[in-house]
Amino acid sequence: MFSRIAYALRETWESFRRNLTLTAAAVLTSAVSLLLVGSTFLIQRAFENLLVQWRGDVEMIVFVRSDASAEQVALIDSVLRASPTIIDIEKLRYLNKTESYEEAKRIFAGDPVTLGLLTPESIPTQFKVVPLSEDPLLVRSLSDQYRTLPGVEAVALAEDEFEVISTLSNFIRVVTLVTSLVLLLVAVGLIWNTIRTAMFARRREIEVMKLVGATNWFIRIPFMLEGLLQGLIGGVVSCGGLWVLNSAWTSGVTGFKPGTGISSLVVPDSYLTSVMLILLGIGAFVGAVGSAIAATRFLDV
Amino acid sequence: MIRLENVTKIYGTETVAVRDASFDIPKSQFVFLVGPSGSGKSTLLRLINRQEQPERGDVWVAGRNINELPASRVPYLRRSMGNVFQDYKLLLNKTVFENVAFALEVIGKPRHVIARQVPIVLDLVGLADKQDRFPNQLSGGEQQRVSIARAFVNRPLILLADEPTGNLDPTTSEGIMGLLDEINQTGTTVVMATHDHRVVNAMRRRVIQLDRGVILRDQERGVYE
Repeated sequence: MFSRIAYALRETWESFRRNLTLTAAAVLTSAVSLLLVGSTFLIQRAFENLLVQWRGDVEMIVFVRSDASAEQVALIDSVLRASPTIIDIEKLRYLNKTESYEEAKRIFAGDPVTLGLLTPESIPTQFKVVPLSEDPLLVRSLSDQYRTLPGVEAVALAEDEFEVISTLSNFIRVVTLVTSLVLLLVAVGLIWNTIRTAMFARRREIEVMKLVGATNWFIRIPFMLEGLLQGLIGGVVSCGGLWVLNSAWTSGVTGFKPGTGISSLVVPDSYLTSVMLILLGIGAFVGAVGSAIAATRFLDV
Repeated sequence: MIRLENVTKIYGTETVAVRDASFDIPKSQFVFLVGPSGSGKSTLLRLINRQEQPERGDVWVAGRNINELPASRVPYLRRSMGNVFQDYKLLLNKTVFENVAFALEVIGKPRHVIARQVPIVLDLVGLADKQDRFPNQLSGGEQQRVSIARAFVNRPLILLADEPTGNLDPTTSEGIMGLLDEINQTGTTVVMATHDHRVVNAMRRRVIQLDRGVILRDQERGVYE
């Protein structure tokens, strides 16, 4: 038994060395595709964070035109306060021009172009509204009513922001998922080709092995191990890449002030670890599948 | 030991390699399959080690119908046979010792068995002093001896030899035939395909003559003609 295992490992290693360039191509392709798969997971998770944080604190924002008079602002304020069953009066806040500009500076910290278009004079002031009601339709009808008030520039609902974010995250998910699936298929193909080449290079040995009565599994296993190892190494490389990416992302994102939503795009380490384990699993699976197909298909050399 | 019953092998749709061949080879016999190239000698050997399967008829080896053998059992059938070829089929990146050991290694024999068996068989074929050479450093006759050692190291019941002297000069061929005869004396059934008149006539063993896939003659202690 031991001699069989030793044989398989030795053959795997030999073949690995012999086909270094093809092996490198197969490993890199699986690494890149797995990195994309991992990124998909992380992006998904990051967006979920964002949505979760906003969902806990639903807000409606009534933007007031920058040229609105003090009377108009007072009127809006009184209208808002006229619905104490729907709006949490305690948490109703008015941000004047300075405060609004300060907030804008935070929101657009990563977007200096947009920020440059705003000045403390031209910026709309805003009422931050926390609804008491859980009914989104009720809040929405209220917002339609506020929109018609004089001096109101716009009414933004967190619900609409969610839609933008969910649409965006769905789009990103589909794109990255499709791309990574295609790349995974390419990885399977490359591993398949590497194994096929390895088997072709050793066709004489395989012929002799078959003639002296080696079982197909005995012949096959070193090749399958080789493919499995290629996938697994690709997985390890992708894990390293993912860790680097996530560290860079985390340090970039945590630079933002809290409350802008951006800083919530951080993925916890425990989640990263499980994603890495998944990547290793997929890598091994991809390698095993590619080499199994090749080893079965090309055993009759 | 080996019995063919009305065996017909067709390649493609119409190339009949063997037509309605029947013979019975008892244990420990030495048999020549003779005939010109393309007469079906090699195909017969390939039918016996199940590299090919016949379109009609049955092939029996050691009391078993090998065409009914599931593919997963074929390796075990092959362990009871040794194969020798005209082109030796040695692995050029392995030494003499490694080439012979390879046959035991890949059927999972433990290391101590390999260490014991390989020197014995190398001694038998007269290459004990050349076990660390590579095939390219040997003459044709010596390479064929290595290949016979590899075929015999697992002590098979049957030795199948396909033109083993095809690439060798008469003197070297004589040596190889002596070796095959020696192996035959140990009780191993030897089936040898050849079109080498000299070898057949010198040995005076059973001769099965083929022409275009048909058995023309089956004669005890025959000559080539």
